[in-house]
Amino acid sequence: MGQLRLLLQVAFRNLFSSKINLLIGGIIFFGTLLVVVGGALMDSMDSAMSRSIIGSVAGHIQVYSDDSKDPLALYGSMSGEPDLAALDDFSQLKPFLEKHPNVKTVVPLGTSGAIITSGNTVDLTLSNLRELYKKRDEAGETPELRESIDSVKGHVRQMVNLMADQTARSEQELGGAQKDPAEVKALAQARTDAFWDAFEEDPYASLELLENRIAPQIPDGDMLELRYAGTDLDAFQRTFDRMEIVDGQPVPTGQRGMLLSKFFYEEFLKMKSALRLDHIKQERDLNQKTIATDPELQRWVKENQVQTREIIFQLDPVKTRKMVERLQKLLGSQEPALDTLLTQFFTTDDANFDTRYAQFYSELAPLLELYRLRMGDVLTITAFTRTGYMQSVNVKVYGTYQFKGLEKSAMAGALSLMDLMSFRDLYGYLTADKKAELAEIQQQSGLEALSRDEAEEALFGEASDNVLVAEATSTDVDDQAAFIGDQGALTRENLLQRVYTQQEIEQGVALSAAVMLKDPELLEQTMVELRQAAKDAGLKLRVVSWQEAAGIIGQFVLLGKMVLYFAVFIIFVVALVIINNAMMMATMQRVREVGTMRAIGAQRSFILGMVLVETLVLGLVFGAAGSLVGSGIMALLNSAGIPAGNEALYFFFSGPRLFPTLSASNLVAAFVIVLGVSAISTLYPAFLATRVSPLQAMQTDE
Amino acid sequence: MRLKNMLSAAALAVSLLSAPAALALEQAEQVKLLATIDDRQRNGGDYKAMVYLEQKEKGKADLVYELVVYRRDEDDKLMMLFTKPKAEAGKGYLRLDKNLWNYNPNVGRWERRTERERIAGTDSRRADFDESRLAEEYDPSYEGEAKLGKYTAHLLSLKVKSGVDVAYPVLKLWVDKASGNILKREEYALSGRKMRTALYPRWKKMFSESKKDDVWIPEEMRIYDEVEKGNSTTILVKTVDLRSLEANLFTKAWLESKSR
Repeated sequence: MGQLRLLLQVAFRNLFSSKINLLIGGIIFFGTLLVVVGGALMDSMDSAMSRSIIGSVAGHIQVYSDDSKDPLALYGSMSGEPDLAALDDFSQLKPFLEKHPNVKTVVPLGTSGAIITSGNTVDLTLSNLRELYKKRDEAGETPELRESIDSVKGHVRQMVNLMADQTARSEQELGGAQKDPAEVKALAQARTDAFWDAFEEDPYASLELLENRIAPQIPDGDMLELRYAGTDLDAFQRTFDRMEIVDGQPVPTGQRGMLLSKFFYEEFLKMKSALRLDHIKQERDLNQKTIATDPELQRWVKENQVQTREIIFQLDPVKTRKMVERLQKLLGSQEPALDTLLTQFFTTDDANFDTRYAQFYSELAPLLELYRLRMGDVLTITAFTRTGYMQSVNVKVYGTYQFKGLEKSAMAGALSLMDLMSFRDLYGYLTADKKAELAEIQQQSGLEALSRDEAEEALFGEASDNVLVAEATSTDVDDQAAFIGDQGALTRENLLQRVYTQQEIEQGVALSAAVMLKDPELLEQTMVELRQAAKDAGLKLRVVSWQEAAGIIGQFVLLGKMVLYFAVFIIFVVALVIINNAMMMATMQRVREVGTMRAIGAQRSFILGMVLVETLVLGLVFGAAGSLVGSGIMALLNSAGIPAGNEALYFFFSGPRLFPTLSASNLVAAFVIVLGVSAISTLYPAFLATRVSPLQAMQTDE
Repeated sequence: MRLKNMLSAAALAVSLLSAPAALALEQAEQVKLLATIDDRQRNGGDYKAMVYLEQKEKGKADLVYELVVYRRDEDDKLMMLFTKPKAEAGKGYLRLDKNLWNYNPNVGRWERRTERERIAGTDSRRADFDESRLAEEYDPSYEGEAKLGKYTAHLLSLKVKSGVDVAYPVLKLWVDKASGNILKREEYALSGRKMRTALYPRWKKMFSESKKDDVWIPEEMRIYDEVEKGNSTTILVKTVDLRSLEANLFTKAWLESKSR
């Protein structure tokens, strides 16, 4: 005991006495600081991300079919949608999973993607008009209906005029006729009073002229990629606490319907001019950029000045007049042309931007449809089914939603939610009945399969008995089957109204099941037990953690962690070498001191202890200083928060700011690592010190 | 009508049967030759056919359909209406002017598609079902004679005329010397990349009341995808009806009213 006190005394005395000790101390100080701060940040990000991913769509555990070709990737993978085999009947899987004592809830899921195409503005307006006429044919004309028809007609006529003007102007500017004469002729015809006076006599014929000859003259409409997850929407909302409805309302229980992701709704369905204004505002407010200095902001301003057609085409004559009046007032201008006024209005700089932004939303937006789709509208989604056939469904959009903390994440924001019945329609599971039907059609054709390589020889070769021309006669062709299939308007109407029972929702195909646990700490153990249970029950299931299920995002988290750990590892290897060398030097410097001590009776164990204790004290003192400063930094970060400067960070931070916390485990880990490294790096020099003999000490020169 | 057809058939016979002369064909003659190929397939009136369509893809289940193809050649109208399998019944395509509309009664919506549309997800294109308009769409050049199995064929190279929208801008045609029917058709992208090869092993010859002459219809078409090797489409024309069709058949309203 007395010896230890002596050793400590020696150690403390030596602490600041040599520069080498200060160097070692410095390394230990920064090493500890790094481990404390880095570790705490990593842990905070990890837990924030876990909460986001678990609480948004993954749950703690995902279960899916073991026959799947690809691993489950809820947020999509590099190569697109993963190829998963279906879970044939979710209603059988659910009780099986719920049997486990740690399982709280099970939610069916299926993610997929589709392209939604919409025609151009003229197409959309014309199809509106067509619907109105059809309504009139079915239910008779009412004054309200007549008013709607006349209003849309006025709008179409306005668009035709605008198109003709634009054609004339571009021909004037570019010189000579740019357009197909047939198109110009059609446009001229659609402008005449005679055409519009005769419109009502045969509205469908008039519509076809507009649809086939006029509408194609402006560029095609948009194509949008839509990723969606089909799920039991009620169970989903109950289970995933991060989900919140932003606009509209939840899909009524048991009905078909869709909740679009708010991110997707804003980025892809909002009017481009308004979206660009929003972007400029965000960059100016959040990232302190200015129009004067930032080329991207300048580009947006320029695009808003030039691309005014989206606004102009949207307005019917009455609204056009109002818009012109308002713009004239705002700009203090007498200019009569709407496009010139809009260009002037969108000519923004850092001085007038905030005013124009506010004016746009208060004065102009009320006259406009800011979004291409309103809550309550029906969206047509067309997708290739699993069997290769194309399938379309109409889904009513009830609202938009977002995952709290993931609002700005493009990855999480790409996912919209859909009821499971619509999902199954688009997924197109190949039932035994369907399979038999296809086989029968194929067999009736009497055709033989021929591969590319053998085809020419088999069909045209010397040995083939092909008869090139055969006499035939005109025969009756029965097309009745086309009108008695599964499709049709009647079912279309019913589907949107129908309320499905919980049993109907659960009975059928799902692609995976999200499992929420009662005690998340037991995740690993529960996974192992579920795997075993599935094996015992003869079910071919894959059970994966949320991290694996998150696909590319899960891998991203793992990669980030590995990079950090690797960096820490390298730093400590370097520290080890430096400390080791420094200690060697320190020991060499003290050969005489050690020799003298040995000469007056110090044992080898005492020398060993002396060197080791000295390093440990060094480690403890500087380690503690490092931890203290590290804790200070963390406390500061915790109260101020680290702002997420871009979308990717927004996701990693699970929100606009990360408020990292420091746990005791971070401190303990830092101390253990630091002390371990110092002890290891001192072992060899300490061993060398014990080898110093008194004789050697005496023999040194001087 | 009849006289004109006989004349054009004669022109084809003369031009195709005398290969050395064909080698020295003037541009105008070559165009005429192409026009004759078109004309032999043209009915001049209405056309309705029951067609079987099949798509094979590597690693996937086959797609099979039955559809009725309606044509009114005088004003270039085309409608394709699917009848089988049940889940596909009522879906259709309608070509009006330069628009190819796709209709799905399940959602009651019309969508405009392009010339490159893969009909119902197969390797076939609109032109495979439509009237032959080679002379109208392409400029030909004669490449000489070629053997194709037991058949001797004239080999023609075709390039799209400017301003015409077709799925494939460059074609190679093997035309049977003896019967004047197309045996093989290779289709290329503008870059020169081979996209599809179509084989026409069987033709139907039938008498048309409206044309007052014989009309040739490709009964079987085997289309091989040269980009996605292993994918292929087969079109089989089972029965043909050449009588006149309803006057207002080629309208959106007709298809909509039928599927209600």
